[in-house]
Amino acid sequence: MTTRAAPLTDAIDPYLIPALDGVAYGLLLFVAASGLVLCFGVANILNLAHGALYAVGAYTVAVLADASWGSLALALVVGVAAGAGAGGVLAGLLAPVVRRDHLTQALLTFGVALVGSALLVAAFGPDSLPVRIPAALDGTVEVAGHRYPAYRLGFIAVAGLIAVALTLVVARTRVGMLVRATVDDADMVACLGVNPARVRLGVLVAAGALAGVAGVLGAPIIGPAPTTADTVLMLGLVVVVLGGLDSVRNTLLAALAVGEIQTLGVALTPAVAPFLLFTAMAAVLAVRSRGVPAWWRFRPRWGGTT
Amino acid sequence: MPFPTGTSRCRALTGAVLALGLTLVTGACGDGDGSGAPGTIKIGLLASLSGTYEAVGTEIRDGFELYLRMHDNKLGGHEVELIVADEGDGAPTAVPAATKLIKQDRIDVLTGIVGGGSVAAVYPLLNEAKIPFVGSNGRPELRDVSRIWTTSYLSDEPGAAIAEYVRDNVRGEVFAIGPDYQGGWDELRGFTETFTKIGGKLANPDGKTLWTPFPQTTNFTPYFAQIKASGAEAVYTFYAGTAAVDFVKQYARSEIRDLPLYAAGFLTEGGVLNAQGEAARNIYSVLNYSPDLDNAENRSFVAAWKENHDGLPTTYAMASYDAAAVLDKAIAAAGENPTPEEINAAIAGLGQINSPRGTWQFSPTTHSPVQKWYLRQVRQDGRTLSNTVVGDLATVGG
Repeated sequence: MTTRAAPLTDAIDPYLIPALDGVAYGLLLFVAASGLVLCFGVANILNLAHGALYAVGAYTVAVLADASWGSLALALVVGVAAGAGAGGVLAGLLAPVVRRDHLTQALLTFGVALVGSALLVAAFGPDSLPVRIPAALDGTVEVAGHRYPAYRLGFIAVAGLIAVALTLVVARTRVGMLVRATVDDADMVACLGVNPARVRLGVLVAAGALAGVAGVLGAPIIGPAPTTADTVLMLGLVVVVLGGLDSVRNTLLAALAVGEIQTLGVALTPAVAPFLLFTAMAAVLAVRSRGVPAWWRFRPRWGGTT
Repeated sequence: MPFPTGTSRCRALTGAVLALGLTLVTGACGDGDGSGAPGTIKIGLLASLSGTYEAVGTEIRDGFELYLRMHDNKLGGHEVELIVADEGDGAPTAVPAATKLIKQDRIDVLTGIVGGGSVAAVYPLLNEAKIPFVGSNGRPELRDVSRIWTTSYLSDEPGAAIAEYVRDNVRGEVFAIGPDYQGGWDELRGFTETFTKIGGKLANPDGKTLWTPFPQTTNFTPYFAQIKASGAEAVYTFYAGTAAVDFVKQYARSEIRDLPLYAAGFLTEGGVLNAQGEAARNIYSVLNYSPDLDNAENRSFVAAWKENHDGLPTTYAMASYDAAAVLDKAIAAAGENPTPEEINAAIAGLGQINSPRGTWQFSPTTHSPVQKWYLRQVRQDGRTLSNTVVGDLATVGG
């Protein structure tokens, strides 16, 4: 550190790394929560097994990756396939109760989550598992005079790409159009000849794949352990509450906000760290209940062209 | 008050007869179970075999069973019937399991219990039934210790034992950070109180330990930034389980990774060390045990353990093994057909106990060990990393 640095720079300096880390953490939550939002927003299914699907991805990379790039790519493929497959199984399990209320679906998916977590512990033991990543990503890099984990920097880039791709798919493709149409008016979409069961299956498979991606890529940050599913589900639900269900952009903003609250917020006000996240959630809920401000309501839905 | 009609009276009578019959039958069952084979001692082992603490609970069960296997399933010359029950995540599951052991299985002694909260909730039941408890892990603060004996440690002892070493070996201030719950408060208080009393200086801005929300903290980066800004020359901490894995992995890639890390031994004990991998190298920790201690008792303990397990035994397994050793000596000293009260009285008179950790004895005031603590460092051991003893620290307890 130079002795002649301006006082302002000195004051900001300790918070640079937490702020950067908030972006990495927030993007991880975005990838993890986007599947949850997709399920709830499009298929109207409250999928409480989403955290368990993340855990499946995280365990996959712990088992398959041996610090080589090839094994990481293989783990990504297998993790996504496993997540998507598990999503398909969930769709099958949910088919009989699709006309029932959210509580029934929540009970079913929560039961699946409990069974899934117990099976993972039975298969891999009660300890956290190590995750081996390629040497180039395992070290630290210099960021504005601070050391920062190389993996998290790489993760910011990849997760940023995923966010852009997701936005484009929803905004510009035929599939995305269908998704937006289903969010707006599912009955009308059904009248137009699109089978709702197939939309539901597609959405759950896509959401499962997103959870798998998040699990594989996020494992070095929130690693495979018996608590993983609960942690991810809890943070994902907070993102859903904060961001609402109707746009990718709102989900992204909410995820980044949660990331920053968990890092920058904690660095700024360590004394109230345990309450920060839920205070923010309560504040948002209180404001929402009085009606969403007009300038916010006219945000474009699920990506921007409607 | 109207009298019951004929039918309902008849029904009530039938009910009463049935109830009486059931009591007789269950009573008979109870008697049959209670007596057992002559001279058999019934020992209940309560440990977390599912949930968050499954890893620790399994070690506790295996440590006790190992001692029994090495001694022909006999303690103090009596055949042992071991009844294992699941403590689960804490008091709400531990109490019904303990109630079953006491009321239905009619145990003579209870051992095990992972969580301090579970011990606090179960202990009154044991006191009421006059059953001694030889605990092997969790130990809350208790006023009345007449029937509790702990073979592990008190939570503030690791920190107290390493404080002097840290003062002598760190040039500058030390930052104290730990999880915000009872176990964390006790562990960190042990260090900070002793450390500041003997002239050490904390780097924490207000001189108080930095607490991280537990268990929801999975990202320690903002705390590392604070430690960096404090100008500390070393860090002292205590975490266990998943939090220990997260803390160590993130520490190794943080901007304070060059600061020496001192910790209560649980940070790198058992399964977490495997998950931490290379990130744990060189961490110093304080604990009452290490599998590489050089004494006869430990050599036979480790050799027997390895016959049935992949890894090395932990302090959790060792403390449970010692609980069996304590009962072995006490039951032998308690006479021909010892009652629970006689076993309890015999434990008080045991004196020195030979253990894989070296010899120790119960403190007459706290009923927990007066024992030597060791400084360990995570070092290469063959193909894996292991906690290697690098020196003796203070003898603490009582």
